[in-house]
Amino acid sequence: MKRRAFLTATLGLLAGTALVGLASAEDGKTVTWWYESANPEQQQHIKNLIIDVFNAAHPEFALNIDYRGSELDKQLRVALLSGSGPDVVYTAGPSYVAPMAQAGQLLPLDPYAEEYGWNERILPVFLEMGRYDGTLYALPKTYETLGLFYNKTLFDEHGWTPPTTIAELETIADAMLELGIVPFAAGNANWRPANEHYVSIVLNSIAGPENVYKALKGEIPWTAEPFAAAINKLNDWWQAGYFGPNYFSLTDEQAVAQLAVGKAGMMPTGTWQFQNVTRYFPENHSEAGFVGFPSADGIGDPIYALGVGSTFSIAATSEVPNGAAAAIDYVFTPEAYGALNSVWQGEWNMPLTDLSGVTVSEDVLPLYTEAMDTLADAVADNLYGYTTWTFLPPATNTYLVSGIEEVWLGRITTEDFLAKLDEMFKQELAENKVPAIPAR
Amino acid sequence: MHRLYLIPTLAINVAIIFVPALLTVALAFFRWDGISAPVFVGLANFSALWTDRIFWTALTNNVIWTAIFLTVPIAMGLLAATMLLVARRGSTFFQVVYFLPVIIATAITARVWQGMIYSPVTGVNGLLQRFGLPTFDPLAGTSTALYGIATVDLWHWWGFLCVIFFAALRQVPQEQVDAARLDGANFWQTMRLVLLPAIRPTITLMMIMTVIWSFLVFDFVYILTQGGPAFSSEVLSTLAYRSAFYDLAVGKAAAVAVVISLFGLAATAFYIRAQAREFDR
Repeated sequence: MKRRAFLTATLGLLAGTALVGLASAEDGKTVTWWYESANPEQQQHIKNLIIDVFNAAHPEFALNIDYRGSELDKQLRVALLSGSGPDVVYTAGPSYVAPMAQAGQLLPLDPYAEEYGWNERILPVFLEMGRYDGTLYALPKTYETLGLFYNKTLFDEHGWTPPTTIAELETIADAMLELGIVPFAAGNANWRPANEHYVSIVLNSIAGPENVYKALKGEIPWTAEPFAAAINKLNDWWQAGYFGPNYFSLTDEQAVAQLAVGKAGMMPTGTWQFQNVTRYFPENHSEAGFVGFPSADGIGDPIYALGVGSTFSIAATSEVPNGAAAAIDYVFTPEAYGALNSVWQGEWNMPLTDLSGVTVSEDVLPLYTEAMDTLADAVADNLYGYTTWTFLPPATNTYLVSGIEEVWLGRITTEDFLAKLDEMFKQELAENKVPAIPAR
Repeated sequence: MHRLYLIPTLAINVAIIFVPALLTVALAFFRWDGISAPVFVGLANFSALWTDRIFWTALTNNVIWTAIFLTVPIAMGLLAATMLLVARRGSTFFQVVYFLPVIIATAITARVWQGMIYSPVTGVNGLLQRFGLPTFDPLAGTSTALYGIATVDLWHWWGFLCVIFFAALRQVPQEQVDAARLDGANFWQTMRLVLLPAIRPTITLMMIMTVIWSFLVFDFVYILTQGGPAFSSEVLSTLAYRSAFYDLAVGKAAAVAVVISLFGLAATAFYIRAQAREFDR
C-alpha cells in the first residue's frame, strides 16, 4: 500500500511538473531573466521595484527572475548553445556579447531601439559597445568607473588634501607608510580579478586613454613605451608597499573596513564600492571622500575609465521577445533608475541620457550622486578611459589578471608581461573577439 | 542471456562517460570558443601546451600534490588505524571524529580554513599576529600557496583513509597476529611483517586512487586561490577550467583534460596489472 502511495505521489508530481512546464511554455507570457547573485535584501528590492511594478504595468506578460549565482555566464553559455536559455540574456559585459552575437544566439535589438526610443534615451557611447558588425545586440545595464576613495577624517587629521597629481599621491602615500598606515586599501582574496582595477587605472591615468584606444584598435602594440611606464609605476607602488602586507588575504569588503577605521588611507577602486562605503563609514564615525584618480603629467584632468558591469540582450530562441524587450525597457526608465538607486547604489547606474526626471531618495550619500554626475560629464566631454574588463577580449583579460601578479612577485619582468599580453591580444583581434570600441 | 543484464549499465556508461570522453578527445584537436563552430587545428593545442610555461607549472604542481598525498595522509591513516586496532576502547568515537571532515562540503571546509584559520584579519593567524607572533597566510605566498591548500585537503582527507585502513586491518585473521606475538614479534615487527602485507591490496588501491584523484584536484585550489598568486598554485584542472570558461579556449582545455586522463589511465593500467598478478598468485 505504501509503495503504491509512493508511486502515485511520484507520478502525480512528475505529471504536475510536466504540466507546469507545458503551461509556462504555452501561455506565451512568462518572460524569464537569469540574474547573477543577490543577497536576500537585494532580491527583495528586485521583486518590489522591478518584478511587481513591471507585472502590474504589463498584465500580458509575467516577468520571472531567477538567481543563478556568480557562475551565471557559464550557465548561460551552455544554455544558449542548447537553445534553452532565458528570454532576457544578462551577460557579464560587452566582451561576452561578441561571440554570442557571432554565433547567432542573440536577437538584433535595432527594431526595439526604434520602437522604445533607446537611441535617444541611452548615452550613444554605450549603445556603440553593444553593437556587433553594426547591429545592436546588447544594452549595458550599468556603467561604472574607477577613482580614488579616501578617508576624509584621516586626511583632515593629518592636513592632507586629496592628490591631484601622481607626485602628490606618492608624497601622501609615503607619509602614510611612515605612520604605519597602508596607503591603498586593497585585497583580492574574494575576487582575484580585482588586480585589473589597478592595471586599468595606470593604463588610463599614466599611459593615457588615447594610447589605450590605439592599442585596442590594434594601431600600437601593448609593448609600447607608455604602457611599460604605466606597469612599471604600478610595480613601483607594489614594491614600495602601497598595497599593504595582506593584499592576497583580504576581501574588498575588509579593505573598505580598513579604510573606514583609518588603518588604510586611500582606496583606488570602482564606484560599486559605494554600497560598502555607506555600510562601514557611518558606524566608524568617519567620513569618506571620492575623487578621480590623479593623472600623469601631460594626460590632463582625471580620466574616468569606463566600465560596463553587465548587459541585456534577447535570446534568438525566445518565444516572448516582445515581453523581454518590454522588461529591458522598463529598467531604462527614470522611475526604475530612481527607485533602484535610492536603495541600492552602484549596481543600477543605467546610462540614461537625461537624468532630470530621476528622483533619488534623500538618504542616498551625496558623494555618490556627485560622483555619478562627474562621470556622466566626463563621458559627455570625451574624458573617459577604458577598463580592461569591458574592452579587452577574454583570454587577454584573464592573462592580465594573473600576469600582473607575476610582475609584482618578481616572477617576470614588465617587458615579458606586456609581450605576452600583446601576443594574446593580437591573436584575439585576428579572431574578431575584441568588443566594439567607441570612437573617441 | 545473462549478458543482457549488462545493457543498462553499459548504456549509462556509453552515454555519460564514453561519448563525452570521445568528444573531449576530439575537441582537443579543434579551436573552439564554446559558442561558434569549431575549427580543426590538428596538434596545435598540444604544441601550444608544450611551450606554455604555465602548463608546466601546473603539471609540476600536480606531481608535487601527488607525492604529498601518496605519503602524508597514507602514513597518517595507517598510523591512526593501527592505534585504533591496538586501543579498541573508544575506537568508534575516534573513527567518527576522524571521518567527520570527510562529510563536510569542500566549499565550507575551504572557507572555514580561509576565513577562520589562515586570514590575518579574521582568523587564528590574525590572532597570533596580534600577540606578536610572526605568522603568515600561506595562501598569500608563491612558495607556500600549494602547501597551504594541501594542508586543508589533508585535514579533510586523511580520516577517510584511516577508516578504510582500519576496516581492512580488522579483516586480518586474529590467529596471524597472535602467532606473531607468540613468536616474540614486537609492535613494529607485527606491523611490517603481518599487518601491512595482509592489507597490501587495500593500500595499493588507495595509492592508485590517490594518483588519479591528485590529477583531478580542483575544488580546494579553485576556492582558496584560483591557482594564484601568480599561477603558483595552478594545477591542470584549474588551468583547463580557466581555459574553457574564461579564455573561451575549449580546445586547449580539452587538450589539458586529455593530459590529465593520460595520468589517470597510466595509474589504472598499473592497478589492473597489479590485480592480475594478485589473482595469478
